[in-house]
Amino acid sequence: MKALTLDNIARSFGGLPAVDGLSLQAPAGRITGLIGPNGAGKTTVVNLITGLLKVGNGRILVGDDDMTEADAPTLARAGVARTFQNIRLIGDATVLDNVVAGFHRHEKAGTLANMLGLPAAHHERREFERKAYALLDRFGMTALARHPAGSLSYGHQRRIEMMRALAMEPSVLLLDEPVAGMNDAEAYSLADIFRDVARQGVAILLIEHNMRFVMSLCEHIYVLAFGRLIAEGTPDEVASNPRVIEAYLGS
Amino acid sequence: MIGFLNSYAPLLELALFNALLAFSQYVVLRAGVFSLGTAAFAALGAYAAAVLATKLAMPAWLGLVASLGIGTLAGALVAIPLARLRGVFQALATLALVQIVLSITLNWVEVTDGALGINSIPKTVGLFGMIVAVLAVGYFLAVIGTSSIGRAFDIIREDETVAVSLGISVPKHHMIAFILSGAIAGLAGGLHAYNSYSITPNEYGFNMLVMVLAMVVLGGRVSIWGPLVGAVILTVLPEILRGFQEYRMVVQGALLMVSIVFLPRGVADTTLAALRRRRIAAAKAKTGTVTA
Repeated sequence: MKALTLDNIARSFGGLPAVDGLSLQAPAGRITGLIGPNGAGKTTVVNLITGLLKVGNGRILVGDDDMTEADAPTLARAGVARTFQNIRLIGDATVLDNVVAGFHRHEKAGTLANMLGLPAAHHERREFERKAYALLDRFGMTALARHPAGSLSYGHQRRIEMMRALAMEPSVLLLDEPVAGMNDAEAYSLADIFRDVARQGVAILLIEHNMRFVMSLCEHIYVLAFGRLIAEGTPDEVASNPRVIEAYLGS
Repeated sequence: MIGFLNSYAPLLELALFNALLAFSQYVVLRAGVFSLGTAAFAALGAYAAAVLATKLAMPAWLGLVASLGIGTLAGALVAIPLARLRGVFQALATLALVQIVLSITLNWVEVTDGALGINSIPKTVGLFGMIVAVLAVGYFLAVIGTSSIGRAFDIIREDETVAVSLGISVPKHHMIAFILSGAIAGLAGGLHAYNSYSITPNEYGFNMLVMVLAMVVLGGRVSIWGPLVGAVILTVLPEILRGFQEYRMVVQGALLMVSIVFLPRGVADTTLAALRRRRIAAAKAKTGTVTA
C-alpha cells in the first residue's frame, strides 16, 4: 500500500510554466480526482509522475521512496501504471497480447530463458495469459481476446488500455481521462471497476475533464488551472468554490 | 529431382544465404533499430572464416564458430554506443561501420588479400548445410519472436512511450537486437565463405546493404516469414528478369516501389493479416456471436 505524493512540483516549457508548484496526495485505497479545464496542465502532471518528463522543481514520492529522478521504466517497475488520454495500443497485436504486455514488470524468467524457449518462459507466459483472461472476463471482453486491438471500437480500446494498466498490478494508477468519449452507461460501468481496484489498496489518481464523473467517484478533488492548484477539497466544497466555477465557466 | 537440384543448387544456396542476411536485418528492424550493419557483420564473419581456413588451415567448424563469435562481439560492441541513439542516427552510424569494415578488408592486405579477396577457400558447406542453418536460425527467431523479448520488440517499434511506461528497457532490447543481428550475419558470412570458394570486399558493400534492407521491407518485418519471402523473391526475381537484360534493375526497382506502395507491411505480413481476418470472420459466422 503506497501513496503518491507530489511536493511542490514545477515544470516549464521554454520559460512558460506548465505546472507551477503543485502539491498533492493520492492515498492508497482511494480515488483522488485531479480536474481542470482544457490546457490546465493535467496531462503534463501525468507525464511528470511517470517520468516521461523531468520535473524542474519539487519532489515525487511513491510510498516513502523519492522517485523524483527516476526514469519511466524505473517508475513503471516500481508499480506506477497509467492509461493514455489518446489511446495508445499496439493495433496489429491481439487484445490478449496487448493485455499480457502489462505484465512485463513481473517477468522473472530472464532473457536467456526467453531466447532459448526454456520451460520457465513458457510457464510464465501461460500464467500471464491466464491472468489476462481473468481481466478480459472482468471487462466483458473474453470473446474478443484474439482480435487485433486496432480493429475494435473506441470503447473497447479504452478498456484494453485499462486492462493493460491493471495487468501491471500497480500500487499507483493514473487514469488520464479514462471515460472521454464514452456514454454515461459505459462510464459508470467502469466506475464500478475503479472502486473495486481502489478497494484492493491501489492509489488511484483520476484525471478528468468531466466534473460530474469525478464528483461521483472521488472523496477528495484537486483543481488545476493554468498549472496552478486553485482549489481542493470534497466534491461539494470544490463545486461551490467560486474560483473553480470561474475557471470552468470563465469570468 | 536430383538433376533439378543440381542445376538450381547455386541459386538456392544464394537464396538461403540471403535469407540469413535478411533474418539479421529483420531482427533489428523488428525491435525498431534502424541498423544497416548487417553487411559489415557478414563481412567480418566471412573474413574470419576465410582467413582461418586458408591461412591457418583450421577446420570448418572452428571457422564457423569464429564467424558467429566475431559477429556477436561486433554486434555487442556497436550496441554500446548505438543502443541509445534513434532512427536516422543509428542508420548513419551503422552505415559508417559498413564503410569502416569495407576499408579494412580492402587495405589490410597481409590478412585480407585486399581488393582481390580471398580465393580457393575449400568448399565445406553445401546446400544441405545452408538449409540446416536457415532452419535453425528461423526456429531460434520464431522462439524469440513469440517470447516476451519479441513482444517487447514489437512494443518498442510501435510506440516507445508505451514501452517505457510498461517498464520495458529500450537500450537493453536494442542491445539484444544488435547482438542477434551481428551473430546471425556473422554466421551467414562464414557459411557463405565456405560455400562459394572465394570472397571479395565489394560483395559486402552498399549493394548488399540495400538488397538486404529491400528484402525485409518487401517481405515484412513482424513475422519471420517476411525476411524468408523477401529473400526468395529478390534472389529469384533477377533470374526471371534476365530477359530484360540492362533494364533488369529498372524493372526490379519499379516492382519494389509498387509493392511498397500497395503492401506497406510487406508481402508476408499482409498475407498473414488477411488470413487472420478470414479466420476470425469464419469463427464468427460459425458461432453466430455478434461482437462490436
